[in-house]
Amino acid sequence: MSNRQHEPASTTNSLADQVRRGWSTFTALFGNDRLGQIGLLLLLGFIFIGAFAPFLAPYDPGEMNRDDQGDILRLDGPSTDHLFGTTQLGRDVFSQVIVGTRVSLLVGVSAATMSVFIGTNVGLISGYKGGYVDDVLMRITDIAYALPFLPFVIVLVVILGADIMNIIIAIALIQWRSTARVVRSQVLSHKERPYVESAYAAGAGDLRVMYRHILPNVLPLVFLYAALAIAWAIIAEASIAFLGFGDPELHSWGQMIYDAYNVDAIRFAYWWVIPPGMSIVLLAMSVFFVGRTLEQITNPELRHRE
Amino acid sequence: MSFQSYVIRRIGQVIVTYWAFLTILFVLFRVVPGDPVSMHVQDLGAEAREERIAELGLDQPLYVQYVEYLRQLARADLGQSMIYNESVWNIIVVKFWNTIILMAASLILAYAIGILGGALLAWYRGTAFEKGGIVLTLLARSSPEFWTGIVLLGVFVFWLGLFPVGGMRSIGSELATGVGRYLSWDFVYHAVLPALTGAIYFLGTPALLMRNSMLDVLNADFIEIKKAEGLHPWNVLYKHAVRNSILPLVTIAAIAVGMAIGGSVVIETVFNWPGMGRAMVDAVNNNDYQLAMAAFFLMGSVVILMNFVADLLYVYLDPRVTYE
Amino acid sequence: MTLLEITDLQTQFETSEGRVHAVDGVNLSLEANESLGIIGESGSGKTTIAKSIVRLLPDNGEIVDGEVRYDGDDITEYSDRQLRKQIRWNEIAVIPQNAMNGFDPVYTVGDQIVEVITAHTDTPNDEAMERAKSLFQTLGIDEDRVHDYPHQFSGGMAQRAMIALALALDPSLLIADEPTTALDVMIQDRILHRIQELQDELDTAMIFITHDMSVVSETCDKIAVVYGGRIVEFADTETIIKNPRHPYTLGLRNAFPSIMTDDQDLVSIPGTPPPLLEPDEGCRFAPRCPFAEERCWSETPQSEPYGDGNTIECHRADEHERIRPEASKSETWREQEEVIEADD
Repeated sequence: MSNRQHEPASTTNSLADQVRRGWSTFTALFGNDRLGQIGLLLLLGFIFIGAFAPFLAPYDPGEMNRDDQGDILRLDGPSTDHLFGTTQLGRDVFSQVIVGTRVSLLVGVSAATMSVFIGTNVGLISGYKGGYVDDVLMRITDIAYALPFLPFVIVLVVILGADIMNIIIAIALIQWRSTARVVRSQVLSHKERPYVESAYAAGAGDLRVMYRHILPNVLPLVFLYAALAIAWAIIAEASIAFLGFGDPELHSWGQMIYDAYNVDAIRFAYWWVIPPGMSIVLLAMSVFFVGRTLEQITNPELRHRE
Repeated sequence: MSFQSYVIRRIGQVIVTYWAFLTILFVLFRVVPGDPVSMHVQDLGAEAREERIAELGLDQPLYVQYVEYLRQLARADLGQSMIYNESVWNIIVVKFWNTIILMAASLILAYAIGILGGALLAWYRGTAFEKGGIVLTLLARSSPEFWTGIVLLGVFVFWLGLFPVGGMRSIGSELATGVGRYLSWDFVYHAVLPALTGAIYFLGTPALLMRNSMLDVLNADFIEIKKAEGLHPWNVLYKHAVRNSILPLVTIAAIAVGMAIGGSVVIETVFNWPGMGRAMVDAVNNNDYQLAMAAFFLMGSVVILMNFVADLLYVYLDPRVTYE
Repeated sequence: MTLLEITDLQTQFETSEGRVHAVDGVNLSLEANESLGIIGESGSGKTTIAKSIVRLLPDNGEIVDGEVRYDGDDITEYSDRQLRKQIRWNEIAVIPQNAMNGFDPVYTVGDQIVEVITAHTDTPNDEAMERAKSLFQTLGIDEDRVHDYPHQFSGGMAQRAMIALALALDPSLLIADEPTTALDVMIQDRILHRIQELQDELDTAMIFITHDMSVVSETCDKIAVVYGGRIVEFADTETIIKNPRHPYTLGLRNAFPSIMTDDQDLVSIPGTPPPLLEPDEGCRFAPRCPFAEERCWSETPQSEPYGDGNTIECHRADEHERIRPEASKSETWREQEEVIEADD
C-alpha cells in the first residue's frame, strides 16, 4: 500500500511537475477502478456525440419527414431509414437524441461551473473570515436550502423567459448551496493547520492565503462537487423540460419526453420514449461513476481493498 | 453554550431565514417585470382591470403591498384564487396533505432501504454484492423522477396492468373526508407507484452516505471493543455501528425533505396526483399567481421547519455536539 | 495453575502483496494471577498475538495453526458463539490503547458498562448500574460520572473508566494493549500503579503489550520479547532486565535509560523491523544484529530452554557472557548502523 500523505499542495512546483503529479494521481485512481473507467468512457462518448452532433445526426431534428407518397411519417417504428423511428410530427427520433446531447452537456457543464464557482467562493470567504461575514453568508446559504429547487426554477423561468441560459442560471442560483457548505467546513479545518500559519509568517495577505494556499487544498472536493453538480443539473433541466417549461427552441431529451408524454406515446411508441430517457440516465450515471472515483481523493478511506 | 441558548439562537436564525424567504417570495411574484399578475389582468377590460387591481391592492406603493402581504400571511390568509374564485387556503389545504402523505411515504421508504442497504454495502465491502449494489444505487439516482415514473407506468400499468394509471382514488369510490381519505386500500393502491418512484430517486443519497459513514465507524476502536465484550454481532451492528453511522444522515434528511417537496412537482404530474406540486404547475400555467405563490409558500415553510427539526435532532442524537 | 497456554500459534493475513506471517510459531504460557509483558517494536506482531487469543482478527486474518489453551480448553476450536458467551469479557477482557476511542461516543459510560453486564448475566439494569458505580469508586472516579458521555472525560479518567469496563465481569485475564501510551507520563505512572494494585487485589492474570521496556519492567512478572512474529526471548523480568541473552533484547534495553545500570548514551537499534511477507530461512534479526554470523543468515534458530523456564532463539545464545558487554556499548550499534547504510 502506498503511503501517500495528504500534503498541502505546494506552490513552488513548476507547472510540468504539477501536470505530471496530476497525471499520476489520475492513473492511480482510474487504473484499478472499473466503474470509473466505464464512466469516463461513456462520458467521452457523449462529449464526442455532442461535439459532432450536426455531422452525426442524419436528419434535421425539426424536419417533418414524409414517406414516398408525400404523407408525413407519423409515429413510424424503428427502421433503417429512421433508426429510432419518428415522432407524432414525423421527426427523426435518432437525430433529436443526438442533438439533445448538446443541450444536456451544455446545461450540465455551465450550471455546474457557475454553481461551483459561487459555492467555492462563498464557502472560502465564509470559512476563512468567520464572524459576521460567516453568519451572513451562511444565512444566505440557509435560504438557498429553504427554496424548493424545481418550483423555484419554474417560477424564475416563467418570469425571465424559457431561454436555456435562464434555465442554467436558475439552476446555478440554487445549486451552489451544497458546495458552499462543504467547502466552508473544509476551510475551517485547513485554517488551523501549520502551513497557513507559515504563509502568514511569510507575509502573505488574506487573499493570497485564501486563494493560493487554502484553495488548492480544497480543490479535490470542489472537483467532486462539480461532478455531482453536472449530474444534478442535467436531471434538473430534463425535469423542467418534461414539465413543459423548457426552451421550446431546443430539442432536449426532457422536451422529447414531454412531447411524447403529452400524446400518450408511452402506451404505443416505445421508440420515441426510451432513447431520450436512457440517454439522460446513462449520461448522469457516467458522471456519477467518475465522481465516485474522484471521491477517493477526498476520502482515501474509500479506496477499495482489491 | 447550553442547549437552551442554542435552541434560542437557532430559532432566531430560522426567523431570519424565514423572513428572507417570504421576501424573496414577494419579490418573485410581484416586483419582477412581466410578473404573472399583469399577464392575467390583461385579459380583462380596462375598467374591470382597474377594479381588480384596486381589489388586490396592487395600486398601492410596494412597501404598503409588502406590509399587507406579511400581515395576510400572519393571519394565514393566502388570498383568493384568480381562476377558481375561491379562497386559496381551501383549495390548497387538501392538496398540501396529499403531497405530504405521498412524500412522507417516499422518504420513509427511501431511508429505510437506504440505511439498511448502505449498512449492508459497508458490511460486505469488496464483494460482488457491494459492486452490484453501488451500480444499482447510482442507476436509481441517475434516473430523473419523471423517467422512473414513466418506466414504472410502462411496466406495471400498461404492460402488467397491476396498478391504476394515476390519480388518488378510483372513480365511484366512497369519498371520505379528513384522515379517512388516506385510510383505505384504494388509496394505498393508488399511492404505491408514485411513492415508489420518489423512493427510488431519493434512496441513493442515504444509501451511499450510510455506506461511507459506516466504513468509517467500522474502523473505529470501539467497534472492536464491543466485539471483544462478547456482545451479539447484531447488537454491535445495530446498537453501535448503525447508530453512529446514521448521524450524518440526519443532516441530509432535511435536504431530502426539500428535494422531495420540490420533486413532488414532477411525480404528481406523471401520476396525476392531486397535490401541491401539480397545483403549482397548473397555477403557473394558468397565471393564477395567488395559488402558485401559496403552494410555493407552503413548500418553503415545510423545508425550513424540517431543517430546524433536523438540527435539533442532530444535537439530541450526538452528545458530542458543542452548540456553536 | 496454568491459565493460558499458547502453542505454536500461527496467524496470517492475506494482503494484495501476499501472505503476511504476523505471528509465526509463538509459544507462551501464563499462570493465574501472573502478569506477562509482551514487548516489541510496532509491526512485530505483538498486538496480533493478543488479538489471536480472543480471535478479534480483521477479515483478512486467520489463525492457521497452533493452539490457545485457556483453562485447559483449546479455544481456537470454539465456535464464535461459544467464544462470545464463555470467553469474551467473562474470562478475558481487553483494555485498548486509546480509551477515548474505546467507548461508543453516543452512549454514557455507565450505560456501556450496564450493557456488557446484562449481555452476559441476568442482572437487572439497576443492579448493573450499581455495579458500574462501585467500579468507578474502585478506580477513584466520582460515581456520578457514570452518567457522563465518554467525550466528557479527560484522557486519564477515560482510561480508568475503560479499566472499570474491563473489570465489569471479574475476568480472569486482562489484556492491555499499550494502555498508557496515549497519556502523559505522570498519569501513565499513576494508572500503571493502579492496574498493578488491582491485579493483586482481584487475582487477575494480565498480559501487557507495549513497546516500552520501562513499563513492563515495573509491572510484569515475566516478559516475552517479540521480533518478526516470533518470541525471541522469554524469561522472568529480572533476567530480561539484568541478564538477557538475545542481542535484540540487549538492544532494546539500551533504548531505555531508566533500567540501565550505568549511565550510557541512549542508542536505538538501527534498521527497521523485517517485513513479515513469506519469511525466508535464517534469523529474522540477522540484518540488524551486530553479532550475526553466517549461519544466522541461513538457518532459523529454534527455541532453546535456559534457566528456570526461560527460552531463547539465538544461534549465539551460549556466548551471552561475551556478547552482553559488547552490546551495551553504543559503538557496537553505531557500527552496525553504518553496515546497514552501506548495504542500501
